[in-house]
Amino acid sequence: MKVRRGRILAIKWGMNPNSSSLGVDVTFLLVGATALAVVTPIVGAWLRWRRNKPDVHDAA
Amino acid sequence: MTLRELVARVTASRGMRRARLERFGAIVQLAWPRALVFVDRAMARRVVRGLKGEPWNDSESALGEHVLSAPLEAHLQLTNRCGAGCAGCYTGASPAGAPNEWGLAEWKRALDVLGAAGVFHVALGGGESTTLPWLGELAAHARLRGIVPNLTTSGLEGLARLLAIADRFGQINVSLDGLGATYAAVRGFDGFARADAAIRALRAVKREVGINVVVTRRNFDELAAIFAYARERRLSEVELLRFKPSGRGARAYDELRCTDAQHRAFLPTILAAARRHRVRVKVDCSYTPMLAHHQPDRALLAELAVYGCTGGDFLVGAKADGRLTACSFMGSPEGRPRVTDLAAYWRAPDAFGAFRRWRDAREPCASCAYHDLCRGGCKVASAHVARDPAAPDPECPRVVDHVRAIEARGSVPHERARRHLPTLR
Repeated sequence: MKVRRGRILAIKWGMNPNSSSLGVDVTFLLVGATALAVVTPIVGAWLRWRRNKPDVHDAA
Repeated sequence: MTLRELVARVTASRGMRRARLERFGAIVQLAWPRALVFVDRAMARRVVRGLKGEPWNDSESALGEHVLSAPLEAHLQLTNRCGAGCAGCYTGASPAGAPNEWGLAEWKRALDVLGAAGVFHVALGGGESTTLPWLGELAAHARLRGIVPNLTTSGLEGLARLLAIADRFGQINVSLDGLGATYAAVRGFDGFARADAAIRALRAVKREVGINVVVTRRNFDELAAIFAYARERRLSEVELLRFKPSGRGARAYDELRCTDAQHRAFLPTILAAARRHRVRVKVDCSYTPMLAHHQPDRALLAELAVYGCTGGDFLVGAKADGRLTACSFMGSPEGRPRVTDLAAYWRAPDAFGAFRRWRDAREPCASCAYHDLCRGGCKVASAHVARDPAAPDPECPRVVDHVRAIEARGSVPHERARRHLPTLR
């Protein structure tokens, strides 16, 4: 049986130092979906290469 | 970045990852590149080590369909003491601070609770939190709990102390609402030279330094120059914040909030500036209606985790006395829970009230293609203008157009509708 590879749903880039609201990096809007389509598989490969351990076990 | 620096960063990132299970799958925090990655269950099984059997006990849902298992980040107002006296200060900070402010021990307990819940980041602010002698110890405690502490400062106080502990923070941004005289026009006093000096000093010891810019009608025309300034100072980002009618900002709202024309021009203006000066640009959650106005690729927004109001879901706030809030601009919900009560309150019925009832949308939000991302815009603006946080964001161009169309048809909204659809142009 073929195992589904799964997919990245979203990537929230950077960290938010602003203590009043949630900041989101919109620089990718400059280059559009194509650039993100290139970056996302690289992040996926990076994730698979460095598997990690969950620290919270209860699913919502 | 040189190849050597790149290798050093990749090496340093080892062992600095965390993962948290969610109904849709999992969220994985990457130390480098710095990102939170939302993955579905199939991918979570492949990338999260230690999963045995079926760790989820309910059906898989889409990202955004349900409230997260815990916030991604918490915004902690460590103190409301600040001597700057900015005209639009959203917390109404003063040299005296707030009554019953928490100290180091209480905030450490809060971090223990947030860490146990799986919160990834905290944004520390005030008031001016760099005046607190225990700020560095608190940042170190956050790291111990697996939380990345980030910081906003005015740069006007506590600089020497901050320089010594800057490496404990993930990102430090200095509030800079204008260059030269514009700074004074927005804030009400001339603090540009001191803020600039702080930025230069911080950048000398840390790469991840940026600026927070509250965008007002007085500095809107200067945005391109602000990006040029960020480039010149080699800053890592410019984060743009919408002016909120909160604290002293409620009194200054009509005078300082951007015009409707400026809101419609916001996205092309900032993208052009970011492109020209090659600086990363971030916008705060309240700007999502202004992004949606240009009808960008909806899937792209979702992939970038561009959401509107996610108070009480992706984020929570805590006041200087520890009171839990959905977002930093709002008061505490009924029952006045503390941030240390997060685990119990998070799953309470009707927790965070209107913030989590965003699906009960009225027009023109109900028919908006971006509503499940935008979630009705900024509830702080709605609460101030319409006296109802659940009302459509009064500064959203779509809302403004909707009201104009009603008026053009000659049908005057009755009093209740007028209250819920105020017109700010």
